[in-house]
Amino acid sequence: MAGPDVEPIDAIDASTLLDRALTAYRALADLGEQIEDEWQYVNDLVEAWSAELRAAVAPTTAVDAEQVDAVELAIDEIGRIDDPHRAIDWLSTFPQIVRLAILGPVAAA
Amino acid sequence: MRFQSASPDARAVVYAGIQADPLVARTARLLADATPGQLVMARAVMNGETTEPDRWRRMFPTVFRGPAAAAAASEAILAASLEVAERGEQARSQYRGAIVEELTQVLVGRRVPPAAVHRERRVLFDGVRAEIHPYDVTVELPERAEVYDCKWGARGINADVLNQLDDAQVHATAEGARVLVALVVFDARRSCEARLARSTAPRGQTRLFGLETLHKLGGRPAADPAR
Repeated sequence: MAGPDVEPIDAIDASTLLDRALTAYRALADLGEQIEDEWQYVNDLVEAWSAELRAAVAPTTAVDAEQVDAVELAIDEIGRIDDPHRAIDWLSTFPQIVRLAILGPVAAA
Repeated sequence: MRFQSASPDARAVVYAGIQADPLVARTARLLADATPGQLVMARAVMNGETTEPDRWRRMFPTVFRGPAAAAAASEAILAASLEVAERGEQARSQYRGAIVEELTQVLVGRRVPPAAVHRERRVLFDGVRAEIHPYDVTVELPERAEVYDCKWGARGINADVLNQLDDAQVHATAEGARVLVALVVFDARRSCEARLARSTAPRGQTRLFGLETLHKLGGRPAADPAR
């Protein structure tokens, strides 16, 4: 079950999926940057989470239709946000969803 | 070192109504036994734009997979989180804060006698002016104390919060009292670290409990993601 505007599943690998997620993430950050006092925090979040996801998701990581759907829905969710304060909330939440969708549950620390 | 209940102002009276809403206690009880994935889902739903449950189920497929009990717990967390989300932006912000405080109280109450756990308390030290803001949760035992400030997100961490927690530690140490000071943040540790990295306020002995380590407040292992 694929989300809207998803490429055929067999055309998507983990890197492509992650690229899509990070492109949407950057757009969310652009919205969050409108809160001038939080400009630095916004960019620190983006740098930290983007690096973590890039390091964790190997290009060879297998993704199935369910995982693609999960990430596409998360992308759609952040695309609905038009308030910069809520965008900042989601700059922390979104990458956690992407990580969970692509890599699966991890044990707590 | 001694503790004193904060005198409620008008804002606190309104907030007390939210704290007393059964939805807050129900959500906190569910989250106290949640897996890391369920905690992330709860945060997303309570922050979310959509209130269509099936979209959230599809966004968190692994959380709804597995034994029937785990899937049922996920459904209960989703339902409670959606109820919070549907309260509207202003109200749900207050609900989220109240839930983190209640969750902290529930978890800490598993490790120490629940009667020793208090809410909205000031910490007083001899010769030191009392802080304006009370601590969200305190543990008051004869031999030691714990004070917690609770935040929904890492963005809530600021210099005032860090200074107040550090002051409590410094003054307690000066009086020879044992106190643990901590921030409880319903957010990922990585986001908290990003917030703290640019802060020049003292962190001293202030501990941080994020989504990945909330279970440690209760002195128990985290719920197993594969349960």
